[in-house]
Amino acid sequence: MRSMNGRQKTVLLFGMAVLFLALITAAGQVFAKEAMATDFTRKNLAPCGEYVFGTDWMGRDMFVRTLTGLSMSIRIGLLAAGVSALLALVLGIVSATMGRAVDSAVTWVIDLVMGIPHILLLILISYACGKGFRGVAIGVSLTHWTSLARLIRGEVLQLKEAPYIKVAKKLGLSSWQIAWKHMVPHLFPQFLVGLILLFPHAILHEASITFLGFGLSPEQPAIGVILSESMRYLAMGKWWLALFPGLLLVLTVMLFDVAGESLRKLLDPGSAHV
Amino acid sequence: MKSRKLSFIIAMMLGINLLSACGSGQEAPRGDGRQQEEQGTELSGGGAGDSVIVAMGPNSEPEAGFDPAYGWGAGEHVHEPLIQSTLTVTNPDLSIEYDLATDMQVSEDGMIWTVTIRDDVKFTDGEALTASDVAFTYNTVKETSSVNDFTMLAEAVAVDDTTVEFHMAQAYSIWPYTMAIVGIVPEHAYGSDYGEHPIGSGRYLMKQWDKGQQIIFEANPDYYGEEIKMKQVTIVFMEEDAAFAAAMAGQVDLAYTAAAYSDQTIDGYELLAFETVDNRGFNLPAVPAGTDEGGNAVGNDFTADSQVRRAINIGLDRQEMLENVVNGYGTPAYSVCDKMPWYNSAAEVEYNPEEAKTILENAGWTPGADGIREKNGIRAAFNLLYPASDSLRQALAADTQNQLKELGIEVTIEGVGWDTAYDRAQAEPLMWGWGAHSPMELYNIYHTLENGLAGFSPYSNETVDRYMDEALAAGDLDTSYELWQKAQWDGTTGITQEGDIPWIWLVNIDHLYWSRENLKVAEQKLHPHGHGWSIVNNVDQWIWQ
Repeated sequence: MRSMNGRQKTVLLFGMAVLFLALITAAGQVFAKEAMATDFTRKNLAPCGEYVFGTDWMGRDMFVRTLTGLSMSIRIGLLAAGVSALLALVLGIVSATMGRAVDSAVTWVIDLVMGIPHILLLILISYACGKGFRGVAIGVSLTHWTSLARLIRGEVLQLKEAPYIKVAKKLGLSSWQIAWKHMVPHLFPQFLVGLILLFPHAILHEASITFLGFGLSPEQPAIGVILSESMRYLAMGKWWLALFPGLLLVLTVMLFDVAGESLRKLLDPGSAHV
Repeated sequence: MKSRKLSFIIAMMLGINLLSACGSGQEAPRGDGRQQEEQGTELSGGGAGDSVIVAMGPNSEPEAGFDPAYGWGAGEHVHEPLIQSTLTVTNPDLSIEYDLATDMQVSEDGMIWTVTIRDDVKFTDGEALTASDVAFTYNTVKETSSVNDFTMLAEAVAVDDTTVEFHMAQAYSIWPYTMAIVGIVPEHAYGSDYGEHPIGSGRYLMKQWDKGQQIIFEANPDYYGEEIKMKQVTIVFMEEDAAFAAAMAGQVDLAYTAAAYSDQTIDGYELLAFETVDNRGFNLPAVPAGTDEGGNAVGNDFTADSQVRRAINIGLDRQEMLENVVNGYGTPAYSVCDKMPWYNSAAEVEYNPEEAKTILENAGWTPGADGIREKNGIRAAFNLLYPASDSLRQALAADTQNQLKELGIEVTIEGVGWDTAYDRAQAEPLMWGWGAHSPMELYNIYHTLENGLAGFSPYSNETVDRYMDEALAAGDLDTSYELWQKAQWDGTTGITQEGDIPWIWLVNIDHLYWSRENLKVAEQKLHPHGHGWSIVNNVDQWIWQ
């Protein structure tokens, strides 16, 4: 261990975080069917050897249910973060390269979306899209792109003044060619880090909207469903229904944060010393 | 940088908790000081004197106030209106007795009901209650009721001060059951704000209403009937978990609760369970899949086979379901009206999974490679809907899913909102809850509408329709009971196991309450659907021991 330098440690940390998240996602897929299965002969069991997270009032195994819920959260997060980040990249570049009118239009849209409280907009979009997986995925995707878009726009504005871009312009390249060939590669690290750091937002918002009853249907193994159901049983002393799923949600969100931060350090070593 | 990220995450987690606190109801009753004081004295006395505090669910608070035209008493969940008097009342065995009425007659053709009323009744503002108030009330609810159907009434006419005539638009032999839920309002003091400032001639006056929190009733000192023993009744509205906590803290004398809490104990309280006709069951669309004029899906190819419906009916172990889902607090249900005077016990069936499998085999539904039955390329499968907010119905749906799997029928379950549930139930089974103190529910569920199919789930049987039409036209209640029973099963056709069985009834769930040990709750009638006001139907006769 002592022989490892900071960079190697960061790589290791990143690798472990990603591996762990991948494992959760895969496990959720494997257990998808079991997570829905009810068995009334084993209802309301406290955590024990066989059911490490206990069971709920319909005898569902909370361990597989939590894993599947997190896996679904991660998949929704992946989809939403991907769409959001792409949206942010395109709009950020367009805004900064296509002239004044486009810039002010895009900035206006960013301000508009940012001006409405996230959760409200999310509920509205999810409800309008018929709730369920689709509603949540669309809702989360359409509300999380703004800050990254703003960041990329600023970055592009800065890049435009860079000598190599000016030279490219003098050489007669069109603004699309410049954007695609010379700007996107430069922006890629920020984009990637931004994408990963969108995950915690997306996952927590997926959980909250489902918790509030505007997301996935209650038989689905979703972390928001699990937590909102557990509320009703806390007064009865069934603490395990909320504790373990809640802890795993926090752990997952923090792992994404760790992964994002270490990736930034790797791609942009300068920032490690800030 | 790092700590900022962390604090953001923690803030988000907190945010979820905060939101949930707004979403799922409040904590204990946020009464004003005075209420706290009253509760305090209640506590020190260990529950005594002549006042009682009852906790109900937030949905029980009447949004439009105490106006029968907007569902008070005569609403989706019927109960006695307390503030107002009614012409008739229902006994614990659901037979009819008189309240304001002293006599009632119905014409030969069933089209005119003549009711005479007491002449010694006064509204709480001192004015006498006359037949014109009765006529006014009925004409008003007919015009304005958005919750209950009064289309069978053409007009109510006051003949003299104590006689009122109901001219019917169609014969309606069960009119006395309607008369038991419509509270009589004063013509001289009725207006758009009546709901908030009700005046009646019933057992209680509404003294105070803090919306979203509590309602305080006080005994009517001039009440004409039996002496009122419980002088003050306070109703507080809270969610299940808050009601449980309030009982634990000794803040309420009687609190509604759910079966999920039944394994708990609270010092000084006992768990009361009242039998009900509050049933749960699911519909099986009885016509093949198609669409209506509006393009909505109607019917289901699998459940359209009556043999399938029969197999499902006897293939479900209701007793096990009761144990699994409501810890045994309930009774098996075989119809929408178990134990009512109009119930036909031919509906009762024995659990027999082997017979169920034989029925399916004989009907040509044979197991495929994965154990799920098939016939002519149709899979023995359906999607069972349940209201997403109702965990009890979710559990029933899940148990149905497990049990039907044993028969080789594949069920998937899906939580839906009421905005789409009614439409989707035309093609997919839905977990319903019914149960009323009137045979009209049979009519609403099984009688066909103008389009030739029943309203809540596509089904039609001319004989069943005819019996119910005859029952409504019958001269007296006893004859009508017989006809309602024949509509269920007449020996050759009907809606029971040997008949068309278009609905499967599973359980009647007991209504559960935490009650202070020394509170004596008077005998209850079978509660109808709706875990709310029914419990206080006779709160005037409750006593402290």
